[in-house]
Amino acid sequence: MLFVLWAVATILFFMFRTMPGTPLAAFIDNTTTAEQQEALIAQFGLDKSLGEQYALFMWNLFQGDLGQSFFFKKPVTEVVWEVFPNSVILTLTALIVAYVFGIIAGAYLAWKRGSWVEGVGIPLVLTTRAAPEFWLGMVLLAVFSFHYGWFPSGGANSSGAVWDSTWQRITSADFLSHLALPAITLAIYLQGLPLLLMRSNMLNVLQEEFITMARMKGLSTWAIVMRHAARNALLPVATAFALGIGGAVGGNVVVETVFSWPGIGRLLVNAVAASDYPLAQGAFLMITAVLVVMNFIADITYHLLDPRVRVAASR
Amino acid sequence: MLLDVRDLVIDYKTPRGNVRAVDNVSFQVPAGAVVGVVGESGCGKTTAVRGITGVMPGAARFAGGSINFEGRDLISLSEREMRRLLWREIAYVPQSAMNALDPVWRVGHQIEEVLRDRGGMGRADARRRAEELFAMVGLEGKRLRDYPHQFSGGMRQRASIALALALKPKLVIADEPVTALDVVIQRQVLDIFAELQKDLDLSVILVTHDISVVAYICDYVVVMYAGRVVEAGPVRDVLDRPSHPYTMGLYNAFPELAGDDRELSPIEGSPPDLLNPPNGCRFRPRCPFAKSVCADAPAYRSRGPDHSVLCHRVDESASLREAARHAETWTGMTAA
Amino acid sequence: MQQAGDIFLLGRGTTLMARIRRALYGAMEIPRRDPFALAGLILYLVFILLAIFADSLITHDPREILFDAEYNLARNLPPGGDHILGTTYSGRDIYSQLVMGTRGALIVGLTAAISVVTVGTVIGLVAGYFGGIVDTLLMRLADIALGVPFLPFVIVLAAFLDPSHWNVVLGIALLLWPQSARVIRAQVMSLRERAFVEAARVTGAGPLRILFVHIAPNVLALSFLYASIAVGWAILTEAAISFLGFGPSDSVTWGYMLQDAYASQALGREQYYWFVPPGLCIIAVVVAGFFISRGYEEILFPKLRD
Repeated sequence: MLFVLWAVATILFFMFRTMPGTPLAAFIDNTTTAEQQEALIAQFGLDKSLGEQYALFMWNLFQGDLGQSFFFKKPVTEVVWEVFPNSVILTLTALIVAYVFGIIAGAYLAWKRGSWVEGVGIPLVLTTRAAPEFWLGMVLLAVFSFHYGWFPSGGANSSGAVWDSTWQRITSADFLSHLALPAITLAIYLQGLPLLLMRSNMLNVLQEEFITMARMKGLSTWAIVMRHAARNALLPVATAFALGIGGAVGGNVVVETVFSWPGIGRLLVNAVAASDYPLAQGAFLMITAVLVVMNFIADITYHLLDPRVRVAASR
Repeated sequence: MLLDVRDLVIDYKTPRGNVRAVDNVSFQVPAGAVVGVVGESGCGKTTAVRGITGVMPGAARFAGGSINFEGRDLISLSEREMRRLLWREIAYVPQSAMNALDPVWRVGHQIEEVLRDRGGMGRADARRRAEELFAMVGLEGKRLRDYPHQFSGGMRQRASIALALALKPKLVIADEPVTALDVVIQRQVLDIFAELQKDLDLSVILVTHDISVVAYICDYVVVMYAGRVVEAGPVRDVLDRPSHPYTMGLYNAFPELAGDDRELSPIEGSPPDLLNPPNGCRFRPRCPFAKSVCADAPAYRSRGPDHSVLCHRVDESASLREAARHAETWTGMTAA
Repeated sequence: MQQAGDIFLLGRGTTLMARIRRALYGAMEIPRRDPFALAGLILYLVFILLAIFADSLITHDPREILFDAEYNLARNLPPGGDHILGTTYSGRDIYSQLVMGTRGALIVGLTAAISVVTVGTVIGLVAGYFGGIVDTLLMRLADIALGVPFLPFVIVLAAFLDPSHWNVVLGIALLLWPQSARVIRAQVMSLRERAFVEAARVTGAGPLRILFVHIAPNVLALSFLYASIAVGWAILTEAAISFLGFGPSDSVTWGYMLQDAYASQALGREQYYWFVPPGLCIIAVVVAGFFISRGYEEILFPKLRD
């Protein structure tokens, strides 16, 4: 896990250092004097050799120092941490909605195998998997925000609102109404995977001998489906959930942009657009870290949930 | 008579056509008796006994006959009524206990589930009863906390027997309960099973392809071939004086559990395709004694009390038996 | 991963070309058996024809700013009359943009699919056949590629290189190869032990010859499977990148159209005829890829069918 993080950080470092022009180009305008320029170059360590810069970069990274943002004139970590919770809330909300829906609908579609429900359902799900997230967001915005006016068109809070605490902010009706559309957009995109996964797992599990045995025991349909079939079919879906968090935090870049949601994806887009390289680098590393950590957690969840794997691992 | 199956017909709908997997099968299970149902795989024996529970694959349909259990016809019961009866009156010991136990629940939990859901027991009672059941089949109580994959094949089969006995059923259907086990373990599990059967005065239907298992444990035997019963009767009558060539062939194909030095020889060829069964006697293509008369449909003939045979040459059975003892009789048949 | 159906095993054969021809023939067998795959192929065909004949199908130059008879800017005209799908905020013909956009989308989609599948196939072949340290190194590389968040990476890439469609192609080729490589590697590992490979080895064929002449044609069908999915991925990615404003400004794609609509407040004016059609086109192409790959999967991994 750490190896992958290190490798990505290294690739990133060399990408940022070998790009055309000085990284300070955007930062230096006509008004900066030569001395100021020198000072800036020294501040960012650009006067040192590439090897020294790399060592310095790694050492700073190790200490959690990602440098200064050109644009915000603040430490990158501070800027990133400010928006990070917004991204996590958006992602988690969407994922939970998507997985609850996907699991139930997937189990239902498996139960309805061969019926017209399946004939309509599967192509519909494939369509949602194929739709660009930002386009879905645009359609929802046009309909529910601009036409009906049910939801605000962007941002995470109305301007001018003041809150005593972060908790109060994110539980306010204002925040939740801002959250609704981006979360639904993301959820529509994300539900396809758990749905299809759950369906195919259920179809496999329902063929198992222990399901026939459960029927022979005279157990109720509810007990058979929930206790035995669903419980078995859920294992891989739970793993996909953890993987989904990692993928979605990076993947909701476009949704955050459509809804002007102040999250880490939009931060990355803005940083790249404004040539704020330290910030872009920091945001990118953060997204990577979440992805890598979640891949790792997915592995662990799988081991925790499946008694077969669990015992094999403890031996 | 605890169970009376009469003229049972079960069809499978397949994309290629209708398959009559169980064709006019009749047999009885007296209270407290062990009835063996024997035949090669694909002969319809599993379909027939699963039909008794009403739990069948989606493609299977009852197409005739009756299953009389203590005076009620199980086929005419509603799903609700049938469900009430399952496991309390009729329990099942499956072929492969590896897949028959749910891998994500502890074995004890699966026994307690049945005791609580179907037996109406409380948590504490269910736990006590589960330990009792485990003790009955010779398993330690602490193994209740294990998952199925932590059990050996023999232990899983014992656990399945414990599970089947949980609600004190009258009839236990055991489908190849020892097939997956090695011979020594087979003996152990069969011994436990036989002992419990006597102690609890259970009625048992034991499905197997291994006629030596029948000889070891059964009171009656029903021999099935290609969806039909070809010979049925008390086990000593049928095995001492097999009257159908198929029974004779099966007897030659398996070593006895007790061990003897008979010459073993398999029956060559394979059971017919039930989409397109041969007319007349279905064993005809593989039978070393087939004659032209065998192309006509045979009828059941009585060979003694409760002993009936579906063969044209039943009157010559003594001489056929003699010929069947020699392995040469059974070779070179596939060409015919 | 289950083993591919033996219908694709091409053990004997005379020339490499003959083998590849037969592999392609095997691949064409699929749409005949699966109606979904056939539907997908037909959709692809329609879009390919659209892209090829785009020049004669358009009614206006998609980049031209149009004026009406009174020399007023033809801004935000509703569909109808001269403009099948109306005009944009800056007075451009939406229908013509949509048709032209097909070309951009397909070029990006197909190039990206070919590159990523080529990379994936070659790496899968090499890792699976040689095993050992080569395999370990390549699979480690795959772990790294999978640890890099895909879309953010393409965005960063776009920041360094000039805005171009090739960023998308490059990003896909660099990051998405492990998926096909892993499956092909597994397939090669099992093929390696087959009799016909052994036969080739005995007749003195070198490892490279065995790999590319004897084994490669047998994994071609798998490559097709991944290519048909990759086309959709590439088109979605291109659309996202263009939408975020990192696409080239001199070409019309569906993503560019959506970005233009979003930035020009088309949502607020509820100009559905502007931003809905490009989205539907993207969905159609991506779904076509899903359908085709579904058909391949059913033939390649028959156990999935129950």
